[in-house]
Amino acid sequence: MALRFELASAKASATSAPRRGKLVLDRLVGGDVGAERPAIMLETPSFFKYTRHGLQPHLVLEVAAEVDALPPATRVQLEDFLDSDTPDCNQFEGGLHKFIALDTTEILMLDTMDPTITVRTAKPTNTYMAIGSEGGTRRLTPNLFAQLVNSLKPDIVIPPADIVEEPLPSLTQGKRISKSVTRSAKWLDECMAALTHPVAVFAPVVGSHSLELRTIAAKALAARHDIAGYTFNDVCLALPLEHKLRLVQHSLELLDASKPRYMLGASAPDAVLRAVLSGIDLFDSTYPYAVTEQGLASTYVLGEDDSTSLLPHCLDLWQEAMFADFGPLVDGCTCFTCRSHHRSYIHHLLKTKEMLATVLLQIHNMHWYQRFFDNIRRSLERGSLATDAALFFQRYGCEELPSSTNEQNKQAGRPFSELDTLAAQLCSPTTKIQRKRHAESQAI
Amino acid sequence: MTASDEFGHLDTPLEASNSPALTFEVFARCSKTKARASKMHLPHYKAHTPMFMPVGTMGSIKGITTKQLEALDCHVILGNTYHLGSRPGPELLEKAGGLHKFMTWDRGLLTDSGGFQMVSLLKLANITEEGVEFENPHDGQKMMLTPEMSIGLQNAIGADIMMQLDDVVSSLTTGPRVEEAMWRSVRWLDRSIKAHKRPTEQNLFPIVQGGLDVDLRTKSALELVKRDSPGYAIGGLSGGEAKGSFWRMVSLSTDILPTNKPRYCMGVGYAEDLVVCSALGVDMYDCVFPTRTARFGNALVRTGSLSLKQGRYSADFKPIDKDCDCPTCANYTRAYLHTTATKETTGCHLITVHNIAFQMRLMRDIRQAIVEDRYPAFIREFMRIRFGKTVPMWIVGALQSVNVDLTVPDSSGYSAEPVADDFQKTPNAEPEL
Repeated sequence: MALRFELASAKASATSAPRRGKLVLDRLVGGDVGAERPAIMLETPSFFKYTRHGLQPHLVLEVAAEVDALPPATRVQLEDFLDSDTPDCNQFEGGLHKFIALDTTEILMLDTMDPTITVRTAKPTNTYMAIGSEGGTRRLTPNLFAQLVNSLKPDIVIPPADIVEEPLPSLTQGKRISKSVTRSAKWLDECMAALTHPVAVFAPVVGSHSLELRTIAAKALAARHDIAGYTFNDVCLALPLEHKLRLVQHSLELLDASKPRYMLGASAPDAVLRAVLSGIDLFDSTYPYAVTEQGLASTYVLGEDDSTSLLPHCLDLWQEAMFADFGPLVDGCTCFTCRSHHRSYIHHLLKTKEMLATVLLQIHNMHWYQRFFDNIRRSLERGSLATDAALFFQRYGCEELPSSTNEQNKQAGRPFSELDTLAAQLCSPTTKIQRKRHAESQAI
Repeated sequence: MTASDEFGHLDTPLEASNSPALTFEVFARCSKTKARASKMHLPHYKAHTPMFMPVGTMGSIKGITTKQLEALDCHVILGNTYHLGSRPGPELLEKAGGLHKFMTWDRGLLTDSGGFQMVSLLKLANITEEGVEFENPHDGQKMMLTPEMSIGLQNAIGADIMMQLDDVVSSLTTGPRVEEAMWRSVRWLDRSIKAHKRPTEQNLFPIVQGGLDVDLRTKSALELVKRDSPGYAIGGLSGGEAKGSFWRMVSLSTDILPTNKPRYCMGVGYAEDLVVCSALGVDMYDCVFPTRTARFGNALVRTGSLSLKQGRYSADFKPIDKDCDCPTCANYTRAYLHTTATKETTGCHLITVHNIAFQMRLMRDIRQAIVEDRYPAFIREFMRIRFGKTVPMWIVGALQSVNVDLTVPDSSGYSAEPVADDFQKTPNAEPEL
């Protein structure tokens, strides 16, 4: 199995410029010599489908199949399966693809943590990453992680790193960050030494908000030959996006530009555009999930026309105006939900707390997200991304960069802030299932 | 999973009835029990009976799309008039063109009258001759649901089958109240028939009452038959009464109700109930159990149910049921479902899909066994898998009444040793593979 990244333009010299690329996975089938499966191709910029317990939120397989043209790439987080120190899925012989019934024509990325959980209390130590679970705190050592990867056999992994969680800068931050850089490097070494399954490693690029420490971390990664890509999952969450992107760019200057870059926490459309313009290739679909959880349907469009008048980025299905509206969520939308159902029914489902509401909304919001990325790639090919993005920001009223706290974003009613709202949301609007460790994060 | 060729070679019904909005054709009869397999032509769909109808309370079946329901071969689903009557309400449903169009379902729909919900959900439900007087839960105002209003709501919803508003009395009630309720239900039926505005598009089913009293139930059934309705329901049961009384009242009802019309036993039920009541001549069933229990992580199997949240399933890499062809069993292990049941909506959906498939497959197997005139053998095999030797007494008694004696060993040597428990709580040990 080999993962490679091909850049559309040969001159990858500009490290922080937007680029079109293609992630290609060649995977041999079983042990059959010569029985190669056609390569799986992911055109970038693109996204990995966000999952919870291995499935896209609200969408079982036959329903997920209703959303066509989604990228053949899925991300799973190990914390969903850590019901014991060594989860029983480890004993499953079919590997992770089979366990979650993911088609082998999909690129499967295994991460450790759920990106929608933004506050964590379990503290790491020198030897392990701490992950809270129903049965207690799990200790994920690099060795255990490697063992699990060897049984689960994903295609890409994001190994454990010591992510600095403290949101506000303090006097002791320098020491904390320095420790995280050393630990992360040590864990990466231990992990790589224990990995036997040929996975592509997308190493976390750490250093938090210290430019000096980011330099040290990035240089060390750039010197390695066993890294297939880079993950930006450490940029201190309470920082404004503009600041985060400067930190990312600082690291990018020192890293190998021919390798793909995945950034977490930048899933909202305006963040995607700014991150793509800074050189990021890969994202995840946590944003459409957050939209669904608020009972909203996405309506934002990139680059399809020149109008600049202010438009809403989504439709609120909770509003009373939806009660007798028999139109589709979005006129002309070809998704399963818009073809089969109308606003009035979805409004009714939300008001009566029926789970079908979030199923139908998720189908539409994923379809819409996929269309957005299609448009980003087309803009890039036309060379018009910067102007299309500027028009987009103007149209949806997000020219100002997001502010520094989730609270402020929510209060300001800022467009595309559904992920901020999600972070504090107790449970899905149509069930009583509590969001994992909400109680834990509330304790802060 | 299509059931379209179930009656394949049979094209002449043994008996039939033609009502303005329903044609019922009995194509096969069990030579030993009272079971029969039939086709019910409804305005929106041609259903096959005996049939189980999943409950879609507010206009959806707990997270399952109508496309999935079709793939699972559901023919008719249920909607609750009380809930739909409050939200979205009859005016909106009329504007939408009825519930079929509102929820984008083009097969069969059945609505209950709203009476049962009212009595069980609301605090101050006061029953008078006029109707059910209750306090609106939203604003505390005194309101009334009359037979006429219930029919009005159901006409707006537009289901293929509507139920009369009946004076519902708990099956545990005794004394003169039971008789009062029985006669009032008959009077309410007549008012409902009069108020029904769409007799060529919707069927109104009366409900046999009379509690657990032989005399009252007989009188109720005889009265209802005089109204020459398109089909009949057997009500006032499944409320916690002893199963011994339950089956006797069902059987009594099916003896009196016409055989050329569908008989619907409301609120039933568990797999064994469906098997027994079909032997007693029942054609239609509804119950929240399969879909509700799924949301607690319980998957239905022929031995009972698997509580997938239990630790024993964390490394069980078998599907829920190797004989089930639903998408959940085709793709997932019990171990996977153990990690996600009750934690994610997808966990709920996966088990809900399986449980609906389980019910549909059971009914298909029942119909097939009747068509091939081997229903008694099917019953025996079902009971052997479900209970082993320890079959509840009520089941043994009910089956004996229709010429199937589980206590007599069959050719395989299996026989039942009846036990007093009304139903077996823990699933039977899984048969060795």
